[in-house]
Parts: sequence; C-alpha cells; structure tokens
Amino acid sequence: MNVSGWFEAVASCSSATTNSRSQALSLHPAASHRENLTSSSFKPPTPRPGHLPNMVVYAVLILNKAGGLIYQRDFNPGLQKLSSNDYLILAGTFHGVHAITSQISPTNETSSSGLEVLESENFVMRCFQTLTGTKFLIFAEPRQQNLDVVVRRVYELYADYVMKNPFYQIEMPIRSEGFDRHLNSYIKPHQ
Amino acid sequence: MVVYSFFIFDRHCECIYIRQWLNTASSAAQPLSRPVTASSAATVATSVVEKPTAGSRLSMAEQAKLVFGVIFSLRNMVKKLCGPEDSFLCYRTGHYKLHYYETLSSLRFVMLTDIRTESLKSSLHQIYVNLYVEYVVKNPLSPVEHAGGEGVNNELFELGIDSFVRTID
Repeated sequence: MNVSGWFEAVASCSSATTNSRSQALSLHPAASHRENLTSSSFKPPTPRPGHLPNMVVYAVLILNKAGGLIYQRDFNPGLQKLSSNDYLILAGTFHGVHAITSQISPTNETSSSGLEVLESENFVMRCFQTLTGTKFLIFAEPRQQNLDVVVRRVYELYADYVMKNPFYQIEMPIRSEGFDRHLNSYIKPHQ
Repeated sequence: MVVYSFFIFDRHCECIYIRQWLNTASSAAQPLSRPVTASSAATVATSVVEKPTAGSRLSMAEQAKLVFGVIFSLRNMVKKLCGPEDSFLCYRTGHYKLHYYETLSSLRFVMLTDIRTESLKSSLHQIYVNLYVEYVVKNPLSPVEHAGGEGVNNELFELGIDSFVRTID
C-alpha cells in the first residue's frame, strides 16, 4: 500500500486510533505541501516583472551570423505582410546596414556596436546581437521603453528551445514547436 | 548634447553639404574655425584621403557615402514594412545617434549626435525652413542644382547652422 492510499484510508476511517491519527496529522502538512508544489507547477508562467501590460510586439525576426533569415513570425497586426522572399532581402539588407553603422561612428571608440534601436513614425525596432553574431529583431509599437526585457527573454527562449534541441542544425531555419509555443505564450498576453 | 556632424543630400543622392564639429580631445589642436564643407573637401580631396581627420577613421567624403547608403537602405526598409506614408526618424547605436529628416522634394537632412539626445526631427525641419530656404533657395546667385555643394556653402548659411547647433545644445 502506498503512502497516499494509506493516508486516505486513515482519513476515511472515523474510528481510527489516536496513534494512527497523530501519524496522519503529522503526515498531513508534508502531503499538502507536496500537493501545492505539483499544482503550482501546472499554472501558466507568471509575467516577468518590468513589463508594461499594454505592450504590443508586432513581429520577431532572427538572423544568423551570415545575415540569413532563420526565423520570422508576426504576432500583432501593424506591419505590412511581405512575401518570404522580401523578408529574406530585408534581413540581408539589415545585416549590411548594421555592419556599416558601426563603421561610421564619429567617436573614437575602437569597438563600436552597430544599430541598436531604430525609430520610425509607426514602429520601433530593437536589435540585439549576440556575441556569436546572431541578431534578434523585435518590432513593437512606438515609444516602448523596456524592449530590452523582451529581447533578453526571447534570447533565453532561443537558448532553451532552439540551441538545446539536439536535432537543430546550426545557422538553419528554426522549426521548433516548443520555441513557437513559448514565444507565443510570452508575447501574446502582453497585447 | 553633442553634435558630431551634419549632412545634406539632394534628390540626386549627392552630398551637397558636410559639416563636422570637432569636439574630441585629441582633435582639439586642429583649427575649429575652418569647417569641412563639400566643396572644400572636394578641392582638397587628396589630402583628406591621405590624412583622415582625427575624429574618425574615415574621411568625411567617405563617411558621407556610407551615411547615405545607410539612410537610403533604412528608409526603404521602413517604407516596405509600414507603407509609403511611414518615415524613418532616427536610429541609435551604442555610441551615437543619427537623426533623419526628409522634405517632400527628397532633400535629406542628417545629423549625428550623442545617444542621449531626444528626437531632432523638428530641429532639422527648422534648419530646412529657416536656414536652407532662406539662405540657399532664396539666394539669387545660387544655382538650382547644387552639384558639388555649389551655392549651399555660403557664409550666411554656415553661420546660421553654427549658431543653430549651439542653441540646441
């Protein structure tokens, strides 16, 4: 007989001895604690602190270190629909522009980072380049202040569900259901 | 606020005005009173190429070409993503910020500042309205097309730019 079955038997039995009741009572806190742990693990992940609840993220793009587009996903309407060929062109163009923007730095620093934030009338784009050269582009509505948090979280998800996937070929397009699902559950609630 | 440089590109994608403010400590010895303009850069192009200014690794003429390539690409990218009515305003890197303003006649004004500067769209518009139109467009001696910066680098315009940049500091 396992512990929980024994515990149920003890609880259902009204004519239990004081000895077994005291055992049941002593078991009870631990059992309820374990129950709490299992029930909390099924809850959806709580939003990270530092989020605006009304943040609208339009799209997420991931570029590999050669400037090829390896992931593109729209989350909210706001950007125009482009063909996959146009997205590839856009990614390649941005890769080149990013390299040039670090060249035209007017300051004397030798290691200048490339473009980080691009603003237009209708959107703001945050670009984050990892040390290995992968670029994450987050398109959001204008005047978003804490896009850094979103970028960092997307990078975490990428590390967890793409890089740790043993079947993923590096620098190739990302087709990971887990990554899709977690990205969706992270970004969609904040619209 | 620090303004590093200022560019004007005409509708033929040609750079018609360059102005650089040398403010780094290493370049303080250079004469500040002599601005680098498009025409003066063209006349002394060889010396500029051989000896780039201390403020940047590239010569100003080379830098202007790169700046134009960047703003042209980003402008097209933004228009493709958000429709033709959207316009690219500025971008920021870790070390500088580039502000962009385009008139309806495809005249492009670009200013490079430090990263803490707020949006300069209205300031660039003021430069266009109060300085460019007044001193370049309304100048009867200025040609219609400013090939090589001809007509833009007049004294009133340069003084106006200089004093305007000092006021937005």
